[in-house]
Formats: sequence, C-alpha cells, structure tokens
Amino acid sequence: MFSIYGAKPYLKAHEMRLTVNGKAIRIDAEPEMPLLWALRDLAGIKGPKFGCGIAACGACTVLVDGAAVRSCVLPVGQVDGEVTTIEGIGSSEALHPVQQAWIDEQVAQCGYCQAGQIMSAVALLNEIPAPSDEEIDRAMGGNLCRCATYPRIRAAIKRASDTSAET
Amino acid sequence: MKRLILLLFVAVPLPALAQDAGLAEWQKIFEVFSHPRCANCHTQDDHPRWSGAHYGGARIHPFNVRRGPDGFGNTGLTCQTCHQETNAEILHGPPGAPEWHLAPAEMVWFEKSSAEICAQIKDPARNGGMNLEEVAVHVRDDALVAWGWAPGPGREPAPGSAQETFAALERWAGLGAPCPQDADE
Repeated sequence: MFSIYGAKPYLKAHEMRLTVNGKAIRIDAEPEMPLLWALRDLAGIKGPKFGCGIAACGACTVLVDGAAVRSCVLPVGQVDGEVTTIEGIGSSEALHPVQQAWIDEQVAQCGYCQAGQIMSAVALLNEIPAPSDEEIDRAMGGNLCRCATYPRIRAAIKRASDTSAET
Repeated sequence: MKRLILLLFVAVPLPALAQDAGLAEWQKIFEVFSHPRCANCHTQDDHPRWSGAHYGGARIHPFNVRRGPDGFGNTGLTCQTCHQETNAEILHGPPGAPEWHLAPAEMVWFEKSSAEICAQIKDPARNGGMNLEEVAVHVRDDALVAWGWAPGPGREPAPGSAQETFAALERWAGLGAPCPQDADE
C-alpha cells in the first residue's frame, strides 16, 4: 500500500522485533514505516496520537530508552531501544505520578495532545526531577495544545515533581 | 619570449599569484560554509535557524528549541527528539542525519563575513582544535556535514559536494590559506 510518509510500495515488509512497554512484540513492517504507524496499526497500541505527521506538534511522543521521540517521523527500522508509550507508564490501579498530577490539575480539555504531553513530561522528570519553569518550557515547547492548557501542564509537572519527591 | 616571461614574474610575484589562487579557493569554501544548510546550525546564540523558500528569510527554529548544555538540545526536547538519522521524506518533515546537533557556539558562521569565517577556520580555539587537514577531512567524512548536500525535499543543498569542498580546502591550505579582508568584500 502506498504511504505518503515515506514507505515505498515496492519495499517488502520485514519481521521486526520491538520491545514496547516491557513486552517483546513482532511486527511485519517496512523499515521506513513510522513507528507511530507500527504501534497503532500493527501492534494495536493507540495511546500515541497522529497530529501533524512532521514532528511539529508532539501528539505522537513516545519514549525510546527514556528519551522523548516523535514517533511519526522515527522509521521503525531505526528504533534502537525500548519503546514506552503512555500505556506503559502506569496502570489504572497505579497511575504514574504525572498521570495523577494531570488528573489533580484537570489539565486536559479536548485531550487529544495529552498523551504526548505526558510522555514529554515523563522524559523531563526522568532527567530533571525538580525542573524550573524555564526547564519545563524548554522541554515542553515542542508539544502543542490548541486548547492552550499550558499553565495547567506546567502546574501538573510541578505537582508530579513534588509528589515524586515525597515518595 | 624569455624576456616576456621574466617580465611577468617581476611584475606579478609568485606569492601574489598564490594569494589570488588561494582566495579563489576560499571563495568556493565560503559559499558552502555560509550556505543556510551549514550556517543555520552554526549560530552564536542559543537558537538554530530555519530558512528556505517555504520560510522566507531566516527565522529562529520554533518550539523554543535551544542549544542546551552540549549542543544536542535540552532535556525532554533534544534535537534528536525530532531529527532522526534520515530525512523525513515528506515536505516540511524534519531533516535527519546521525548525531543531529548544533555546532559549538564559538564556531559562528551565521551572518558572519567571509573574512570572519576564514579567520575562524584557521583558529584551533574556534574550530574544534583541528588543523586545516583535519578540517578538510571532517568536511569530507562527517555524516552530519554530509547532510548539507542531501538535505531532503524542499531544501536547497549546499553548493558542490563534500569531495569538492574537501579538495578546495586542500588546495586553499596548500596555497597558504589566505583570508580576505573585510574591506575586500
């Protein structure tokens, strides 16, 4: 099938092995297929969202070995590390501190971008447990929210930071 | 005829010929180094630049993208969050090459004159501690530098090629690596 996102119709699919949310999975995909497609369409992991398709909005953000990447532009053949999506950072019984902070601060409005926002926030807090406002702004600048929930996002990151420090 | 040749050597000393030839080689190098595909990530401030037909003049990279402590961006939004090892093939998609990052802040090419860039290239304190041979090899072999000639859809590549720029650097160095003066430009 032709894809405008780089996969060539004449390329044969290859069996690929990925580790996603701690589980080893196998998919048949062209190496140039964006990771986002592989996750959503082949692995059935729907947390990462399609927004712009050109790494300009952040809705598709996932972690690869803990670092935020835009899965819409990362060819699945270039994935070198463990992939974590929003489904993998917590559970409904035990939310990740960032997820809980998102609820406590009532961050989401329409919610479409929020999975990506949360993944970027997790990547930030993995590296900087108590980020300053400027560090938050620098880390989150590539995640766009058309509902303009930015003040609540910043507040939730601060709350998650405080929660993690207490536990 | 012999007198004519002798006269030519007297009138135009060899060092002056070498100087002119060297400056001509430097001009080829400058056209590469000052090209947006190269200069946009050789900035003095914290921000890489975008430029090209789609963007009008050069503009600061959106999304609050910054140099970060090591030139690879900031925590949570490194260059490689979006810039993968290969170009996105879709128009306006992020370009990619291995180890995408900004040049060190002391290697400023963006909006610098030919004389200023030339002086920098010869100064190990501002060129990554390299001699001219190492600079030439870096230009020829580095994967991120090579991206400048293969920048992906919708972007004008730097002039020439890595090999041609390497050769120009070799010839320029062999001719004494002359630099233009600002008043010459």
